[in-house]
Parts: sequence; structure tokens; C-alpha cells
Amino acid sequence: MRDERTVPRSWLARAMLDTVGKTSARLGLIWISVIAFCAVFAPFLANSYPILVKMNGHWSSPMAQHFTPTDVTLLVVTFAAIVLFVFLQRFRLFARLSAFAAIVVLTITLSLLFVHPPLTNVFEQYRDLAKSGDVQWALDAPIPYSPGDHLRDQFDPDRPHPWSPNSAHRMGTDQFGADISSHMIHACRVAMAVGFISTGIAMFIGIFIGGLMGYFVGLVDLLGMRLVEIFGAIPTLYLLLAFVSVFERNIYVIMAIIGATSWVGNARFVRAEFLKLRGQDFVQAAIASGLKLRSVMFRHVLPNALAPLLVSASFGIASAILAESVLSFLGLGLPVGEASWGALLNQAVGAGGAFQWWLGTYPGIAIFLTVFAYNLIGEALRDALDPKLRGAG
Amino acid sequence: MTPLLEIKNLNVAFNTERGQIRPVRDVSMSIFPGQTLAVVGESGCGKSVTALSILRLIPQPPGKILGGQILFEGRDLVALREEEMQRVRGKEIAMIFQEPMTSLNPVYTIGDQIVEAVKLHQGVTSREAYQIAEQSLNDVGISDPHRRIHEYPHQMSGGMRQRVMIAMALSCRPKLLIADEPTTALDVTIQAQILELLRKLQRETGMAIMLITHDLGVVAENADAVAVMYASRVVETATVETLFDQPQHPYTEGLFRSVPKLNENAARLTTIPGSVPNPAKFPSGCKFHPRCARTRKLAASAPADQTTELKSGGEIIRVLTRCVNEEPELREIQPRQWAACHQIASYNSAKVTPPVVDHKREVTTEHSTEAMQLEAAKGQTA
Amino acid sequence: MSAFEPVTKSPPATETIIDVRDLRTYFPIRKGIFSHTVGYVKAVDGVTFSVDRGKTLGLVGESGCGKTTVGRTILRLIPATSGEVLYRGKSFFGYHGEELRKLRRHMQIIFQDPMSSLNPRMTIGNIIGEPMQVHGIAKGRERDERVAQLLQRVGLDPSYALRYPHEFSGGQRQRIGIARALSLSPDFIVCDEPVSALDVSIQSQILNLLQDLQQEFQISYLFIAHNLAVVEHFSDEVAVMYLGRIVEKAASRELYSNPKHPYTMALLSAVPEPDPRPKHKRIVLQGEVPSPSNPPSGCPFHPRCPLTREAAKQASDTDTVVLAPKGSMATNGHPLPVLGNEKPDRVLRKCVEQMPPLEQKQGEPGHIAACWVTK
Ligand SMILES: Nc1ncnc2c1ncn2[C@@H]1O[C@H](COP(=O)(O)OP(=O)(O)OP(=O)(O)O)[C@@H](O)[C@H]1O
Ligand SMILES: Nc1ncnc2c1ncn2[C@@H]1O[C@H](COP(=O)(O)OP(=O)(O)O)[C@@H](O)[C@H]1O
Ligand code: SF4
Ligand code: SF4
Ligand SMILES: [Mg+2]
Ligand SMILES: [Mg+2]
Repeated sequence: MRDERTVPRSWLARAMLDTVGKTSARLGLIWISVIAFCAVFAPFLANSYPILVKMNGHWSSPMAQHFTPTDVTLLVVTFAAIVLFVFLQRFRLFARLSAFAAIVVLTITLSLLFVHPPLTNVFEQYRDLAKSGDVQWALDAPIPYSPGDHLRDQFDPDRPHPWSPNSAHRMGTDQFGADISSHMIHACRVAMAVGFISTGIAMFIGIFIGGLMGYFVGLVDLLGMRLVEIFGAIPTLYLLLAFVSVFERNIYVIMAIIGATSWVGNARFVRAEFLKLRGQDFVQAAIASGLKLRSVMFRHVLPNALAPLLVSASFGIASAILAESVLSFLGLGLPVGEASWGALLNQAVGAGGAFQWWLGTYPGIAIFLTVFAYNLIGEALRDALDPKLRGAG
Repeated sequence: MTPLLEIKNLNVAFNTERGQIRPVRDVSMSIFPGQTLAVVGESGCGKSVTALSILRLIPQPPGKILGGQILFEGRDLVALREEEMQRVRGKEIAMIFQEPMTSLNPVYTIGDQIVEAVKLHQGVTSREAYQIAEQSLNDVGISDPHRRIHEYPHQMSGGMRQRVMIAMALSCRPKLLIADEPTTALDVTIQAQILELLRKLQRETGMAIMLITHDLGVVAENADAVAVMYASRVVETATVETLFDQPQHPYTEGLFRSVPKLNENAARLTTIPGSVPNPAKFPSGCKFHPRCARTRKLAASAPADQTTELKSGGEIIRVLTRCVNEEPELREIQPRQWAACHQIASYNSAKVTPPVVDHKREVTTEHSTEAMQLEAAKGQTA
Repeated sequence: MSAFEPVTKSPPATETIIDVRDLRTYFPIRKGIFSHTVGYVKAVDGVTFSVDRGKTLGLVGESGCGKTTVGRTILRLIPATSGEVLYRGKSFFGYHGEELRKLRRHMQIIFQDPMSSLNPRMTIGNIIGEPMQVHGIAKGRERDERVAQLLQRVGLDPSYALRYPHEFSGGQRQRIGIARALSLSPDFIVCDEPVSALDVSIQSQILNLLQDLQQEFQISYLFIAHNLAVVEHFSDEVAVMYLGRIVEKAASRELYSNPKHPYTMALLSAVPEPDPRPKHKRIVLQGEVPSPSNPPSGCPFHPRCPLTREAAKQASDTDTVVLAPKGSMATNGHPLPVLGNEKPDRVLRKCVEQMPPLEQKQGEPGHIAACWVTK
């Protein structure tokens, strides 16, 4: 221990650093950040309503007037996250996490209560106003089309949609006339949400049930394992298909189903980890010094069991995104009109059977890259967490 | 006599994330036919890397033999081509490892594993190879080899597996056996069996053994010559008797004093302060100076301009400046004893020569069941 | 808990801290899809001993003989199958829940593997301080001060409290483990091979530390090890275990100078002496430890015992039996010894048929051993 002045870092922190240090993981993270950025700032990036206009001497923001509760929530939560986790690091992590959770809940509630966008969207409204010269000054989004904007004002019977890429629509339009690039950007939200929410559900159920099994052992374990086996035998996609064909299509129901059927692996893992860690000397030492079993499990065992779960979470997100894409591709995904990469793929094979490459290529690449990025991150995390691949010290 | 194996100024480096480390530095030692050389030292001092270098088995990368010679019957193994080396491994030099659990392949029977080695080196038919395998299992004291040869490693206990490893290593009658901590993972009673077996096989075949261990008892009982390693270097080498009677290096001395012995009534053990240094941050000068009792003692009575104060393990100590600045080399202190410490009386006049300890011990420890039975029967039997 | 107030001044000269009576720990062997029990591993099978205040009982034996299980069963980390453990005269097994939790502070454990015995996610300060906090011994600043004192006491720098276990060497981690055990000022510590995983030059440091702490705080140790020289150096009394039972127990010096059980003799003789010109002839015990799930009949040591073979030479044929020849399965289902000659394997009938009692032998009072032949 001669003059070692190393900064104390926790085991998890070191694992994280290793992960980020990996180039492949870094590329993956960059891609996911791009997707996240698009998801949060979609209204600023692709919108038929200008960000700012000066009309009849008055300044206004049509974009803001048409914000949905989702838009508002995403923006506020992102802002709060950046402030809490980048700028307020001197406060305790637990305090910051609690504050964050409170902000999320509050924002969702308030935005649902108080944010009411106009019920009907007249996307061509500002294009018409601009043509008629009522708009003195306008700041448009880089892509001045919303994904639901079917360009009714530009209807041309000689040139039916879908249009292939051109100067106004760099990625072309779909069969309804919606701009693909706009669609692609707004679809980032579904991609992020499907991944995170369904994996979140799967993690929660998995940790809860796996934890119960590993904690109580005995009968609970036996029953739990049977439950795990039953759920493990349900084919997710099949259940999704059945569900969607019977009930109405709803993105949240889809996420819930993906989540509710993919927790099995997590539960098994947490259980095994609990059982393994229970026998570890440091857990025995904690019990021997009179700690409550509950506190031993949650303060000593759980954190040690959770880190490896991050690996399975990254792979889980990837497969959830794939599942949603498949559903949408089959035309059973989101309600018509909602932006999703899979839904675009679905349109790639047009009415006459002709393949419209721009409808297949862009979402295809996006899905591929996103799934690949999560897999890269998962791999890197796995390597970083594997003690056999780490030097001792 | 000429040595069977002579290592001269071997240097090995590993390139790690934290920079280059040198687990073996200027290591020289020699082994004669039929001799047992014990290599002693604490974990991480470079024993295994030295052994693996002889067989050129260090992982490359990150490892690299930077320089030195390993003369085996006059041939320099460092310079051999890989194909030539393959003929040496197993056939002329064999190795057994510390972990009997992981050094056998769990998916093959022990017979298959021995037969593979035998066929590779002796160019015999399968049938002959099986006979040789059975014979060698029998030699290492595995009963009913005809049946046992078809068993899998997991069906055997640790001691049995180590016997199988020895059988495998010896099936080609190597001239040198490198045993890297062959009994560390075993119980004392099983350790005694395995060591006895190695001695018996050595008597019968006349092979040389390089016995790597950290147990001074094992050294005292089995070795003819000893090389003590500390922080990547050989710090002392001598015949086993000389080393135990007159250790010259303070590390050897400290090591002998710090192990508890049976029937010894010391109230407290003497200790070596501090801990084994990590090769990534070796101290300057003599690598032992932060822990060395001799330099502290001498510094206490030395003129102040020849001493240096330094911090070691939380305490301030005063040591000789020469120990901090100058690394001692291995010199021939007296016939058949080499040591690396400038504070040995005859060090300055001693010469740097390659350590060649040609010696066979006189007293061998005979283990026997009879001995105990007689002892036990003496006056104790009903 | 008034019965267990920590001792303050002048403890009575000999107070029994731990009294273990006929302790048994069986692990069920489960098979099949319904995991029904098909038998038991009798890891600990009727162990009795006691440890006085400030004294050390050494426990030795080969791997798998049940040493760790004894230690952990006493601390109730493993449930006992039967038997009794008295802590300062009161039955420790009679407590549950909150009461048990509070009692635990009086008995602590130090582990063999310095790598797995510390939680990799906790700072050293929390590892040592958490037990004190839980038991309401010290909180906040006071707790941190105690942690610093403890670190200093075990020979570490107090600033290490903020670091994580992976930054330390094996010996340092073992010191941290000792500081954690000390934090609750226990009366009794189970030391389960505390130096086996350490470097030779570090072992003596840790042994000296444990010894100093014992003198300073009057702690009693159950000292588990397989190195007999270490145990002799460290213990007042030594118990030798074989297949879940104590086969011999005596004061340390007495046991080493006058062993009564042939297994003890063999163990002692197997320790290689650090002396190139040894005074004694050595014994190599044949065969290996049988599995505790299927122990041999009668005296469990008979398949390996040289003494019964020696005694059988002088006994009449009716008093002896011949064991199945080497290489095949013996009566107990274990392969027989493999080294040695091809002579018929003749042993005393009594040794195969009846379990010898653990009884007082000639020598110091309290020297007990379980063997039919020795007196
Ligand atoms: N949880 C368990 N389930 C089943 N068998 C067990 C369990 N724990 C220990 N055993 C068995 O009980 C016996 C005694 O084990 P124990 O760990 O007490 O041995 P030990 O004397 O401490 O050995 P070592 O010197 O290797 O540490 C062994 O045969 C072991 O396989
Ligand atoms: N493959 C490797 N990569 C990097 N360092 C290594 C490797 N193998 C051994 N070392 C380092 O070399 C040093 C000597 O190791 P070794 O010879 O195994 O010690 P021992 O004397 O215990 O056998 C140690 O510090 C070890 O960490
Ligand atoms: S050279 Fe100095 S520090 Fe090194 S062993 Fe000799 S006396 Fe000790
Ligand atoms: S009772 Fe018999 S078998 Fe057991 S130890 Fe004594 S002599 Fe040996
Ligand atoms: Mg090694
Ligand atoms: Mg044990």
C-alpha cells in the first residue's frame, strides 16, 4: 500500500467505466443517445406547426399549442434528469432518485390534467397562412411535416402517394402522403418506450418473484418455479397476435404483454443469484452479526444480484423492440396513424406488390441499428461484469 | 557433472493494462539429473511463470521472454522452433499443476487422456498405449487400473486426480518433471502420499524434479537444492542443508522464523512486516528493503548520511541508503551457496557466478506404514 | 437480555463461554423430481466440547470432516439436527427472532477466504460499522470513530474506511474481517481457517494479531485449521475430527507429545517438518477419507487404520476379520487402500463391528480418545 492514491470506486462503478470504455459499447451508446434525443425533441425536429411565428404582429408558438401530454412529460422529465444527475451530483443518489420519481409522477399527472391540445389537427393551416401572406416571420422545424400530416393541400391526382425521396421529402412519403423522415423521428418514441417500459415491467416482476423465491426458499420457491415454468412456456408473439386480433390495438397493452411474458429469465436469474449469494461468506457474516434477514437480503444480496441483470435488460430491450416491429410489420401493431418503424416496414410492400424501397430501407436500418446497439451494450456489460474476464485488482 | 537444465538470466515480461510488469527478472538456476530442486516463494513471486517459461507455455501475448537462456541438455529451449518445442514438452519435460480439479479434461476418461499423450510421443499403437497407460496408473498406486482407466475425472477424489496427473506426466518417462505446487490443494495425509510417490518414482527412474512450493516443510523433506524467490528474483540458492542451517538472505531467515513448528514453545511468532509487493509497483533498490529486518537493524547504528527514512505500511522506518538505491545481485557467498544481499559479510568479496548446486541430500525421509505400526504398537497395544 | 450483559471487570477465572453438547448436523441427500430424501450426509455426528473464557480450542481434521459445519452450526448459520449449544450457561438454540438477533453479537466468525468474506459493494467503513449501527452500539460520528479505532487496532490505516475491498491484499482483507468481528466486542469467535489462504509471511502476522486480541479482550476462539503446527502453536486444547466426530481431544501439548488415536498419530506424522534432517520416521496413511454420507461400520477409521492391522497380527482368528482385497470394494462400499503390499488385510473384529466410545485415556486428565486398542 505504498502511496497508493487511487480514487475509491465501487465495484459497479468500475464495471460501468469498463463498459463505457469499450469502443463498441460507446458506438452503441451514441446511437441510443441519438434515438433518445429524437424521441424527446421530436416536436422540435419534425412538425407541421412552426416552432415560432409572428402573425399580425403577435408572436406565438403553434408547436407549443399543439403539445400533447406526452410531449410535455418527456421534455420536463428529461430536463429534470439532466439537472439532477449531471449538475446536482453532490447530493446523495437516493435523494436524487426519489426526487426524480416524484417529478415523473407529478409531471404525468399535471400534464394529463392541464395539457389539452386541439382535438382536430389542421396540419396545412400554417402552410396556407404562409401562402396567403398572413405570416410575417416563422421558424419552422427542420422537417416541416408532422408524421400525421397527409399533405392534403398538396394533393395531386397525377402523382399518387407514396412518393419516392425528393428534395422536399428526403426520405419520401408513405401511401397516405405522410413524410417518412418525420415518421422515422417520431417513431423513436415508440422504440424507446417499447424497450424501456416492457423491460421495466419484466425486470420488476422478475426481481420481485425471483427475490421471493430466493428469499423464502421452500414452498414459495417450489410454487414460484412452477409459475416460472408456466410463463416460460407461453410464446410471447403468439399471445400478442391473439390478443391484438381480439381486442383493440394499444401500444401500452402490447408493452404490458411483452413485459408480462418475458420476466421469466430475470426471475430465474435473481433466484439463482440469491441462492448463491446466501451461502457467501460476507452474507453469513452479516447474519452472524445479527442483521435482520430482510436487511441482509436487500442491502447485501440484492445489489450484488442486480448488476448482472443489467446485461439481460439490454438484451431484453433489444428483443422487445424486435417484437413490436414484427407485430407492426404484420399490421397488428399500433393503431393506424401512430408512428412506428415496424408500421412503415409493413407499407414497404405496396398495393400492387411492388417493393417501395424507401419504405423498407430506412426503418429497416433503424431497427437493425437500434437492436444491434443494445446488443453491443449488453455484450460489453457482460464482459465488464464477468469476474473471470477481470483481473484480480 | 553437467546440469540437466540450466536457466541463465531469464527475463519475462507481461504487458498489462497498467503497463509492463516483470514477473521474472534475471533468474538463474540449475537442476542435475536425479536431483530435486525446490523453488520456494510467496504467491506472485514468479515461481509459476519461471516454470511455464521452461516449457514455453506462458501466454503470448501478454507474456514475452525478454532474454536469457534455458539450456536443457545443452540445447537452448528459448531458441527452439515451436515444432521442436512440442517434442520436448511431455516427452522430455513434463509438468503437473496445482489444481487437480481443473487440469484434467472432464469430458474424456482418464485413460483417453493418458493414451493421447503416450501415442503422441511414443508412436505406439492404441493397444500398446493402453498397456502403457495402465502400467503408469499402477505405478502411481491406483488400484485396479484396468477398471479405473475408463473412469472420468469427476469420479475421482482430489488425491486420485493428482495421481492421474502424475501418471500422465510420467507415462513418457520424462527426464525432468516440473511440479507446480502439486500438493497445495490437498490434505496433509494425501500430501504425504503424493510426495512419497514422487520420491519413489524418482528413485526408480532417476528423473529430475523441479518442485515448486511455498511450504518449507515440503522443501526440507524433499529437496536436494533450493532456490528462494522474492519479487521476481532468486534471492538465495543453496543445498537444502546449508539453506536451513545457515540462511544468508534476511528474507530466507525471516521466512524460516515465521512458520510455527511442531513441538516448539514460542509464545509469539516472529513476523516479516508488510506484505508481498505487487510486480506493478516494486520498490526501488533491493526489493526486500521495506520489509527487511537486517537493514533496519544496521541502519540504527550506521552514520546518518548512510541511511534513509521511508514510509512502509504506515510506519516510518530507517534503512540503509544502499539498500534503497542499489539492487544486490546473486553472488557465490560460499561454495554451493548464492545469495543477493549486500549486507552479508562476504558479499563484497564474493563473485557473481552462475548458481550451480550439484548436491544430493544424504538423509532421505522414509515414510512407511510399518514405522508407525511399530511405534503405535510399542507399549500402547492392549 | 439482562442475562448477557457484557462482562466489565475481573471475569471469573474459568467461565465456560461455549458449551457444545452432542451436536449433530445432517444434510439431507435429495434425489428425483420430487426431491425426496434418500439419505443423510452426517457432516457433524455427535460433537461435544466446551471453551472457557479467553481460551482457544483448536479443531483439526482432513477436508470434509465437518470442521466448518461445526463452527457454523454453533453460530446458527446452519440449523442443527439435534444437540445443544450453551452460551454462558443458557441454551443458545432456545432463542428466536429479535432475541436471537441481539444475542448474535456475542459470537462472531472469521472466514478462510479473504476474497468472498467482504461485500464487494460496501466500503470498509460500512462493512465494519454496519453491525455496530444495527445493534445500537454506535451511530454517526461515534461509529466512524470506532471504525477508525478498530482499523488501527488490526494494523490498518484509518483512512482505509472509505475504500472498497478489492483494493486490498489478502492479508489486509483478513484484518478487515477481524475488525468486523471485533466491532461487536464478542466473547467468542469462530476462526475458520483464518490463515490458510494467506502467504507464509502474512500468516504469522495474522496469528500474532489474533493472539494479542485474545489477551486484550479475553475472547474465546474456536480455531479451525488443517495445519497442525499452526493449531498447536495457537490452541490451549485441541480436538481432532474424523468423519463428523471428535476422535481425540486433549490439552495441546499433551496431544502432540502423547497422541492416543492412530489417526492423530498419522496426522502429526504427515506434517512435513521444516528440517532437512528429521528425527522421526514418518507414516503415510493409506487411502482417503470415506464419504460422510456412507461412513464405514464400527470405528469409522478402520479402513485406513494401521494400528488395528498391527494388533490383528497378535490376535486370535476369532477376534479378527479379513477385509476384501485391495482394488475391489470393501465392506463399506469404499475402495480400499491403494499403497502397500498384497498381504491379506486383517483387522480386529471389534473395530469393524462396534463404534469405540470417546473415553479417558492414560495421560493427563481430560485426554479423551475413541479407540479400542490404545489405553
Ligand atoms: N450445505 C451442505 N449440503 C450438503 N452437504 C454439505 C453441506 N455443507 C457441507 N456438507 C458436507 O458436510 C461435510 C463436512 O463439510 P465441512 O465443510 O464442515 O468440512 P470441513 O471439515 O470444514 O472441510 P474443509 O477442510 O475442506 O473446509 C462434507 O462432506 C461436505 O460435503
Ligand atoms: N497471464 C498473465 N498476465 C499478466 N500477469 C501475469 C500472468 N501470469 C502471471 N502474471 C503475473 O506474474 C507474477 C508472477 O506470477 P506467478 O509466477 O504465477 O507467481 P507464483 O510465484 O505464485 O507462482 C504475478 O504478479 C502475476 O500476477
Ligand atoms: S540488501 Fe539490504 S534490504 Fe536487501 S535484503 Fe540485504 S539488508 Fe535487506
Ligand atoms: S478402534 Fe480400531 S480401527 Fe478404530 S482407531 Fe482404534 S484400532 Fe484403529
Ligand atoms: Mg503459482
Ligand atoms: Mg472448512
